[in-house]
Formats: sequence, structure tokens, C-alpha cells
Amino acid sequence: MFFSLTDEQRALQATVREFLADRFPLTSVRSLYDDPDNDGDPSDLWKAVGEQGWLAVTIDEEYDGLGLGLLDAAVLARCWGEGCAPGPFLPTLVAAEAIRLGGSPDQKKEWLPRIAAGEVKLTLAATGRVNASNDTLSGTAHFVEYAHVADRIVVAADGGTLWLVDPSAAGVTVTRQDALDRSTRLATVSFDKAAGERLSGQVLPDVVDRAAVLTANDLAGIARVALTRTVDYDKTREQFGKPIGSFQALKHALADLHVATTMAEHAGWYAAHALDAHLPDAALSVSVAKAKCSDTARDVTAAMIQFHGGIGYTWEHDAHLFFKRAKREEYQYGDGTFHRERIARLAVDAARS
Amino acid sequence: MRFGIRAPTLPDGESEAAVVDLTFSEADEQFRAEFRSWLDANLPAEWRERGFWRRQDPDRAFEMRRAWEADKAKAGFAGIQWPKEYGGRGGTPSMRAIYDEEMVRYRAPLTVNSLGLTFLAPTVMVIGTDEQKRDIIKPLLHNEVIWCQGFSEPNAGSDLAALQLRAESDGDHYVLNGQKIWTSNALHADKMFGLVRTSQEPKKHRGITMLLIDLKNPDGSYVEGVEVRPLKQMSGALDFGEVFFTDVRVPKANIIGEEGGGWDVAMLLLSFERGSSALPQYAAFRREVDDIIELADSLGRKGDPNLRQKIAKNIVELECLRYHSLHLLTQVEQGKELGAASSMTKLQWSETHQDIGELFADVAGLYHQVPDDGVDVSDLQASFLWSRSETIWGGSSQVQRNIVADLVLGLPR
Repeated sequence: MFFSLTDEQRALQATVREFLADRFPLTSVRSLYDDPDNDGDPSDLWKAVGEQGWLAVTIDEEYDGLGLGLLDAAVLARCWGEGCAPGPFLPTLVAAEAIRLGGSPDQKKEWLPRIAAGEVKLTLAATGRVNASNDTLSGTAHFVEYAHVADRIVVAADGGTLWLVDPSAAGVTVTRQDALDRSTRLATVSFDKAAGERLSGQVLPDVVDRAAVLTANDLAGIARVALTRTVDYDKTREQFGKPIGSFQALKHALADLHVATTMAEHAGWYAAHALDAHLPDAALSVSVAKAKCSDTARDVTAAMIQFHGGIGYTWEHDAHLFFKRAKREEYQYGDGTFHRERIARLAVDAARS
Repeated sequence: MRFGIRAPTLPDGESEAAVVDLTFSEADEQFRAEFRSWLDANLPAEWRERGFWRRQDPDRAFEMRRAWEADKAKAGFAGIQWPKEYGGRGGTPSMRAIYDEEMVRYRAPLTVNSLGLTFLAPTVMVIGTDEQKRDIIKPLLHNEVIWCQGFSEPNAGSDLAALQLRAESDGDHYVLNGQKIWTSNALHADKMFGLVRTSQEPKKHRGITMLLIDLKNPDGSYVEGVEVRPLKQMSGALDFGEVFFTDVRVPKANIIGEEGGGWDVAMLLLSFERGSSALPQYAAFRREVDDIIELADSLGRKGDPNLRQKIAKNIVELECLRYHSLHLLTQVEQGKELGAASSMTKLQWSETHQDIGELFADVAGLYHQVPDDGVDVSDLQASFLWSRSETIWGGSSQVQRNIVADLVLGLPR
């Protein structure tokens, strides 16, 4: 019986945390907030991601990857959330999972080694309405992360088929959108008889589950940092001649949020492991993790604003960076309500009757 | 159930299997098989039926459970983690978790000596003298001595350190005068482990001593000066009471820890309840949710989207409790102290169980109020009421939040 991070995973976590804090702190994220026209993909950050091998984590060794598990990728995702880190890192990891699970040997050989080396950027387009016929795609995908810098988009079409599409190809139009969370750039992508290359595996549900787990871990990272920063502030901010953190109204709320955040953290690790190990409760655990992490990050980041008082509602303060990222990710790959209904299908409908 | 990451290399070159692994060892699984075959042979089928214990006379039910548990202990299925020399089994924390899980799975009766098992025995194992370990553990496991806990007083609830039960020194004895209240098992208990005030110091946490007090004589009559009065709970049960002491003499040899050191002993003792893995609670509550789902089905309400959300919300919280417990179990097996973080576990299970009680009532609607009006809800009804006590005893939720805020988050007092 061992349910904890390994020493190696802890070391990885410490390295990524330090790297982000040192090379890409929140002041850098803030500069992207102040410059919405910037592509939101800092080249030095992407370069480092490739050099460190962070994109190679889940890719098999025969394609120059590290052959590790989703749990190791989840360690990275959590650090990304902690730092509100920008760039197409998570979408590339998710698209790589689609190719790894559903691609042909040739497709894997073409893309996975280059992804592992950080040479190409990918993303997943799974929201909207895209129709596939005669190997061409038509329709519109919304809220596609970093489509404007992607070398390929993995597009989910009607019926759950997956297609590799070159965004610079004829018939593809990428329109950037200025979303609330500027730590992540979004685009609307429309397809008009655009050429696509089919990924033959029926793996969309698996890919979305894995994406949900990575997002859940990003959310758990957001929740932990938002809570820690709020606690630290409330230890020193004085009103009525005392630190406001000494008031029970805040203490009890913060204690409850600490419990919730701790549970969210465990749920994030567990779901990643459950998928790695093909546990019988893997599907349930994905929905538990995404529901818990979504709700908790929303609650903690809202409390971060509230428990900072007026300064918490300013553009200058970091609270809104966490709040807006948590809000976007809450709905990405299913919010709490969506996943609770899925749990009901798994646990209520399947129950003896 | 291992996944592909190489295990870290230890300094001496040996590799340790420190990757996520949710399986139990072969020895642990062997223990499970042995325990299950004992339960198959020794747990009467009707005891496992819904509502069985509610239909029995409470005193008779107590004696049935007392005797069954003693047989179980004699067969080696008690004190799983404690050394054999004191009557335990000498097993691992994982075996303890397996034991708890199987007890729930089999719907085996709850222990009649829960306060002794949960609080006193682990405390004695940590700080008791060898003599105390010998005298206390085995008779406790065999239900020869039923224990109650004497902490709360009329003016000392959450503010436990305000307790006033006076213990005045008289040679090698103390003379006790005062009262305890909300004492679970008071009517059946032979002995009490209680907190008494051995000196009036300005700092109220000092001057408290943990004392083992005989309530009954060997012939079953009450010790001179001890009076026990039942208190009726909101469920109608008489499971707790008041205990009054008038010039009751207790030998000083019955101190646990040191004179004046009772507060620290009490905190250690409470940490066992809060900090142990909550896998037994998970197993019991998850089964309640299944019973509630079955109830929803029989009332034709399984498709109600609002109820489905509520059911799923409780499953989310319970699964989180399980993951958290697996992590705690890992830490315990590594010999780590859980400390104040254990208050989190208590908050998570007790608050969730209360929500499950409300879920039951929401699903049952008007049926929640009648034990069996064509639909037997007696066990769920009892659990629904009992869950209201769980956020009070063992440190109320408000006290637990203070502990988390002060000791875990480090917020100023």
C-alpha cells in the first residue's frame, strides 16, 4: 500500500515550481494580461519546456519519450496551475495523448518525437460542431486553446472521430478571441471543406478523460496557491487592531477551504493513477476529481478576492489571475454538474434494482 | 497495480517499491481470507438483516454483541495492530484497515466497547506502563471490562479545560467529588477513563490528570459514592448518561501519564479518533448511499435530476475521503505523525455523513419519519439522527476548524 508521490515525482515538482517562479513569475503572466494582442506563448518558456523534456513525459520511449504515466504529467499540470503558466503546454500534451492512443504507427512516428522534443505545438478542438465527409471538415470549433500558434489541431468531429488538421491549410480560419482568462489564449476555428487526416482510433472519450484529469490537477494547483496566499495576507493585514486572520469568520471559512483543497489534491492524484493502472473505478475517479477540483478552485479563488478586501478586486492584484483561470477550467472538459450527472449514471443507474 | 515509473534508488543501492500501489501485501490478503472465513462461520445470518438490531431489546442486544465480540477476540480477530503479549494480533496498519472494511462489508455488529477500543487502548499502548498494558488491553479486547470516557461536564464541553471534577490527594489515593455528563456507555460501563482536576492552577490546562476510575465492584454493584443516571438522546435511546461522584476513592496508581499531565494525554487520546484512517467510515457511509439509491429506486425517484446531483455530490465527498484515507494509511505505515492535520479527517467524514443523512431525508420525503411503512428505512433513520451527534462529540466541527486554522494554517489567535 503506497498512495503518495514518489521521491522522483517530488523532485520533478520542486524543479518545475522553482523554474516557473524564477523564470516565469506572475509578473510575466501579468504582462500578457496587459497586452491582449500578444500571442500569449512566450518563446523562452516554450523553449525551456522542450529542453527539460516536460512534453515527453507520457510519450513512449520508442518515440523518444520518457514513457511515464499520467500521474507524472499531472505533477506538471499542477505546477502550471500554481503559476498560472501560459502557453500551449497542456493542449499539446492532450493532443499528443490523442495521437499516442489513436494514431497509426506512421502518424505516431511523424508527430510524437517532435512533440517530445518541443519542436511542434498542438491543440485539441473538441467544443463546437464540426462535420466530416470525404476526409474534409466543415463547421466551427470554439474555445480552442492556442490554435493561432499550433502546428496541428486535433479536431473532434461529429460521431467522435478525430482528425489532424493543419491550421494554415486552405479552408481553415483561426480567429483569436480575447477571453477573461488571459493566461490562456483562445481562438474560434472554422473549417470550410478543410483537409483532415483521420486518427483511426475511437479514443475521444479516453482523451477527454485524460484532459479532464490534467485540468483537474491544474485547478488543484490554483486552489492551493490561492489559499496559501490568502492565509499569508490575512496573517498580517490588520483591522480593529488585530490581524484579520484571527477572526473566526475567516478562520472557519479558510479551514473548510483547506480541507476541500486537500481532498481535491488527493482526488487529482488518484484519478491520474487510476487511469494509469486501469483501475475498475477509473471513470468514476475522473469525474470525482474534475467535480471536486472545479468546485474547490472556484470557491478558493472567490475567497481570495473576498478575504483580501478592496485590493482583491483590483487589476493590480494577482487574485483575478487565479479566479479567471479557475473559472475557465471549471467548464473545460465538464464542470461539477456535468461530472456529477456522469457519477449518477455510473453509480445510480448501475445500482441493483 | 503498478505503473511504469522506475522506483527511486536508495543510498544503499536497494530499490524500494515506492510507486503508487493500492494493493495489499500477500500476508495482508491472507489475513483477509482468514477473517472472512471466521465471519462466514460465526456471524448469524439474521444479524446481517436490515433493521435486525433495532428490533432487539437494547440490553439484550448489548449482551449478545458483548459475547460475540469476546469470541471474535479469542479467535484472534481483535486488537489487530497491538502486540500479541497484550492480547493483540501483532498485525499491520493495513490489516487493521482490512479488518474494518470486512466488518462493515459483513454488516457485523458494532463494538460495545468503542470508547475503550478507540481511545483508551491506543493511549495506553503509547504512554501506559507495562503493567497498565497488561491489565487493560486484554480484558478490554475480551469485553471483560467495558469502558466509558469521562471528559465533558455541564460547564466544560468544547472548553474542556474548564472541567471541575475535583480529585483531592489523601495519601496514596484521590478523593473524587463532582460530575461528568454526556457519558456514552455510562449505563453499561464497568470503568471510566476520566479527566479530573488534581490542582487549582491559574493556567487551567495544568492541574488536569487522566485517571482510571472503577464505577462498579466485581459483583456488578456500583462503587460507594458513584451514581449513574441515564440521559435520553434525541433518538430516544439511553446510550449516554450522567455520572456523579461523592467522596469516591481512587488509587493514585491509576494515573495514565503523570499527575497534572492530563491535558496532553487527552489531546493524544483524541488524536487517535480523528487521525486514524477513515476507511471504516467510508465503507459504512458508502453502503448507506447504496441503500439510499435503492430507496430512491423503490420510490420511483432515481431519475430526479436534483436528487441525482445530491447523490453524486455525496459520492464525490466519500471518494475523496477514501483517497485521503489511503494517503493517511501510507503515512502511518511510514511511521509519520499525523498531528493536527487529523482534524481534517474528522471534519470530512462527520460533515459528509451529516449531508448523507439529509440526502436520505430528501429521497425518502415523508417516508423518512416512519421506520417501516412498507419501506424499511429504520437503519437510515437511525443513522440520520446519529449523524447530528458526530459533529459534536470528539471535538465539535467548530473546534476542529479552530485547530485546522491555528495549527495547520498558522492563523493568529
